Amino acid sequence: MYRWFWSFLRPYRFILAGALVLTVFASALGMVNPSLTGILVDKVILGRDFGLLWGLLGLLLGATVVRMAFRWVFVMTFEHVSQRIVKTLREALFVKLQRMDFAYFDRTRTGDLMALMTGDLDTCRHLVAWVIYQSFENSLVFLFSVSVLMSIHAGLTAILLLVTPAIAVSAIFLAKEVRPQFGRVRAQFSRLNSVVQENIAGNRVVKAFVREEEELRKFRTENDEYRNRNLEAAKVWGKYIPLIEGFSGLLMVIMVLGGGLLILQGALTIGSLVIFTGLVWALTQPLRMSGWLINDAQRFAASLERLYELSKVESAIQTSANVPAPASIPDFATAAFEFRHVDFAYGAEPVLHDVSFSVRSGQTVGIVGPTGSGKSTLLRLLARFQDPTAGEVLWGKVDLRQWPLETLRRSVGFAMQDVFLFSDTLEGNIVFGKPDATEAQAAEAARQAQAHEFISRLDEGYDTIVGERGIGLSGGQRQRVALARLLLADPPVLVLDDTTSAVDLETEAHLQETMRHLYGKKTLFIVAHRISSIAHADLILVLDGGRIVQRGQHADLITQPGWYRDVHFHQLGLDAEGAHHGA
Amino acid sequence: MARNKFDVDEDLNQEFNLHAVRRILAYLKPYRGPVAFAVALMITASFAGLLPPWLIQQALDLAIPHKDVGHLILLSLGILATVAVGAVALFLRIRVMNRIGQSIIHNVREDLFRHLQELPFSYFDSRPHGKILIRVVNYVNSLSDLLSNGLINLIADLFSLAFIIAFMLVLDVRLTLICLTVLPVLFAAILLMQRRQRRAFQDLSRKQSNLNAYLHESLSGIKITQSFARESENETTFRRVGEAWRSSWMKAVGIMFATWPVIEILSVLGVCLVYVSVVDWFRDAISIGVIVAFVGYVWRFWAPIATIGQFYTSLVQSAAYLERIFETIDEPSAIVDAPDSRPVTHVDGEVEFRHVDFRYDSGPAVLSDLSFHVKPGETIALVGATGAGKTTIVNLLSRFYTPTGGTILLDGQPLDALTLASLRRHVGVMSQDNFLFSGTIRDNIRYGKLDATDAEIEAAARAIHAHDFIEKLPEGYNTPVSERGLRLSMGQRQLISFARALLADPALLILDEATSSVDTETERLVQKGLAKLLDGRTSFVIAHRLSTIQNADRIFVIDAGKIIEEGKHAELLSRGGQYARLNGGP
Repeated sequence: MYRWFWSFLRPYRFILAGALVLTVFASALGMVNPSLTGILVDKVILGRDFGLLWGLLGLLLGATVVRMAFRWVFVMTFEHVSQRIVKTLREALFVKLQRMDFAYFDRTRTGDLMALMTGDLDTCRHLVAWVIYQSFENSLVFLFSVSVLMSIHAGLTAILLLVTPAIAVSAIFLAKEVRPQFGRVRAQFSRLNSVVQENIAGNRVVKAFVREEEELRKFRTENDEYRNRNLEAAKVWGKYIPLIEGFSGLLMVIMVLGGGLLILQGALTIGSLVIFTGLVWALTQPLRMSGWLINDAQRFAASLERLYELSKVESAIQTSANVPAPASIPDFATAAFEFRHVDFAYGAEPVLHDVSFSVRSGQTVGIVGPTGSGKSTLLRLLARFQDPTAGEVLWGKVDLRQWPLETLRRSVGFAMQDVFLFSDTLEGNIVFGKPDATEAQAAEAARQAQAHEFISRLDEGYDTIVGERGIGLSGGQRQRVALARLLLADPPVLVLDDTTSAVDLETEAHLQETMRHLYGKKTLFIVAHRISSIAHADLILVLDGGRIVQRGQHADLITQPGWYRDVHFHQLGLDAEGAHHGA
Repeated sequence: MARNKFDVDEDLNQEFNLHAVRRILAYLKPYRGPVAFAVALMITASFAGLLPPWLIQQALDLAIPHKDVGHLILLSLGILATVAVGAVALFLRIRVMNRIGQSIIHNVREDLFRHLQELPFSYFDSRPHGKILIRVVNYVNSLSDLLSNGLINLIADLFSLAFIIAFMLVLDVRLTLICLTVLPVLFAAILLMQRRQRRAFQDLSRKQSNLNAYLHESLSGIKITQSFARESENETTFRRVGEAWRSSWMKAVGIMFATWPVIEILSVLGVCLVYVSVVDWFRDAISIGVIVAFVGYVWRFWAPIATIGQFYTSLVQSAAYLERIFETIDEPSAIVDAPDSRPVTHVDGEVEFRHVDFRYDSGPAVLSDLSFHVKPGETIALVGATGAGKTTIVNLLSRFYTPTGGTILLDGQPLDALTLASLRRHVGVMSQDNFLFSGTIRDNIRYGKLDATDAEIEAAARAIHAHDFIEKLPEGYNTPVSERGLRLSMGQRQLISFARALLADPALLILDEATSSVDTETERLVQKGLAKLLDGRTSFVIAHRLSTIQNADRIFVIDAGKIIEEGKHAELLSRGGQYARLNGGP
């Protein structure tokens, strides 16, 4: 895990080493001010050697300016490196996520992924930008100040050092006790986040059922708990911080008493006592920080573990090592699809059993069956959004798993049931699959998808921006935009998953006309509820409970008793005035 | 209202406004007592913290020269006492301040969330959801530090500053005046840097918001991205958005980290001034104890100024957040109860539209001069081309939108004379958007009637024929569904949202393409249940399937926001108009 993180840090190791060297200089220069002040008191003010004054003050100012300059440079270096590393890391994880299979997104919440990509990544940034140099700088400051004080008066220094473990122990206890509290706060934060997110996403349902009060109650529970957990964490904090401050103050008491007594004995000069006063913070500050630094380091470890886990998740969709050379990719015109004894299950829940069929290029396959019979799952296998748990899907006699994924997905285009439009203009959404398309091409695709007319009626036409889920449009309008997007991409294989369910009958009739132009030119897979949409198909598959229960052409199927005939006549019966249900 | 994309910076008030700060201060009001207590604690603590240099001066000038060990011990005990007082005050302050800070955040968030519930659809439709979410959760959190530490520290620091100047004046007036000459330079420097820092942080906040929104959308739309094999283009965009954030960040911290060195250098300059003046002018007039104590105070003098500067910085950072939080709270909820509106208790279901006009924002007219009357218990089917205005009609009925002209009456009462909550309780909507909440299937059905028993839930599921498939799931009614109801098919999700609406038992029912994703056979089953449900209820049905429509009491054919035909299925068919043509008639 740490090696993985190191691989991101490695390119910057020399820059980081350079910055650490600067840190050493800056910490050493931090000793100059108190020492110079001590000398100033002893030699100039008490010793009356006024000639030294300007030189000493010049040194004082010079050392400060140089130290501050160094400090700015190394702090900015750490910031720079941390930003670079986090950027690389974020992009690597983004690339990873972009390539995960559908099943992964079905079981992983967007909110959790967001937390990983924002909060946990920021913990990593914080480590590099702050924890590393703070740990280093604080250790150095502590070491340097102990050596300076030792060289002035070992006895007094030793007494001061006796108190320091108490500070360190309190700081470490603090870090230890506060850590699980932070975990609890974080967990509650994510619950609060989910409640708000769902409320926003489901705002229509909330309003439809007048559940604002109920939502407020749910929210309040989480919001109250979030406050309480924060307060509990603060309680731990409030227990140790004053203790640490108290111990630090004790150092000053010891210094004044011990130092004063030593001066009385003539063992210490007043200037030296001034140096002690000046360096006392340098003894306590690193100890105070130690607890927080340990804590931050632990948080980093926890975040890193989560990120590492994500980086290790492998997409279930992997391209086989022996990808065929381009020469062996069959011509689309002749490439046939074949399902051979395909099974598919989500975990232990079987969805498809022993599905076998084949279809030649340019043919149309209609897939029908009751809700939940596995139609959408079957389609997902076509572009390898999921792989079969058993059996194989072949295209051009080659198992899909051996196809280069990008070629496959560019060749198999989808219009899905659950239409997602990006927060972009309508044109931007339509050209999504073919970014270099001209405006005229986009408009032509929209025309074919029966979307041009309503888009033209909008004030901003194709420049209208649609919301995150494209909610500004009606269901039928969204479906037609999605269809235009697919038609413009113009892949040799088109998969239409119930893409006209929300479109009115007249528009659907036009769309069927559009589709008719594609017959024979494209391989089409169509899932539909209306038998009329698939009646002309070369092959109709009736799915039930994940099995193909009937197959054939419309003319054959309506003569066989079964689901297809029932539904057909039911629809016909209702569609033709006066006729009754059934056969 | 302009819509908002991920890579467009949101407009932000460029001028830092005191107004937002004053509003957040209003949240402090209920905690006046504890705040006063905390301020008193801070003042005590800062006074105690300032005593040691003076005590040390006493030691150096009196106890040590007089070799008075007793006095020295007494002075040390004095320091010990200040340390103890400081620690106790700190302990109490952490408690009190965290309670206040967390409570305020809690209250701000609640107000924000409550207000969101009142906002119309258009608010949610016109911006990415990620941007709304970040306001409620992250922006409010970022106020935590500002409130629990920043604000009180500011007050306490102002007191500290006054104390320090007082101590310095007591020690030596001349040195104090000399020292204060550095102050104007310091103020000028801080002012200059803060202004740039503020701009940098506002920019950073915008870039952060863009990055998060893009990330969120990429994750939500991942399936589309994959199906068009657009991953690499997305990565390029992501890289660009991330790079914009990075460069903003570097700019902002570059200025931020320069602030402290400037203060440090100026404070060393101040100390140098003290020494120079001591040596040149007051060689013999000032004791060593006074010099040491004075320099001690000079060092402490800059700390409060620096923290005041830091407070200003965090205020500036938070100001951007504050502005957005209050901007959201100030977002007018287009639909509010009229002051004289009253709740409806019983609804017969008589509906009348009188010359109703409607347009979305500045869009074209969707409905114009629409009038119709519906008797209680009637089932009305709305048919027409997509975009004809069918959904708009039913949205007006449940007051998701308000007509731009004309009146809608329910049982003879104008809709806006009724309270929104009571109206919607009687109007059930089953829409094409069947959002399910995370929780079990049972929880989701119960959403329609919070006090429903398990038996009622099952009865509702049975009525719309969802019971069978639910029972077949491994955990039955206790099967968890996730945010977008994944793992369940669209049709199954729709059945669950049906059961939810059925359980709510509204007097007026609206089915907005509710059956579009259910296969014909399931729909046939559902309809048997629905037929019983529709009986005795006024209902509006929008559907594209004639099977759903033909049993309606009346059919309205809508075109371009007007009713062009009206009547029963058979009548309309024989009339040979638009409806007949839609049905492939002659």
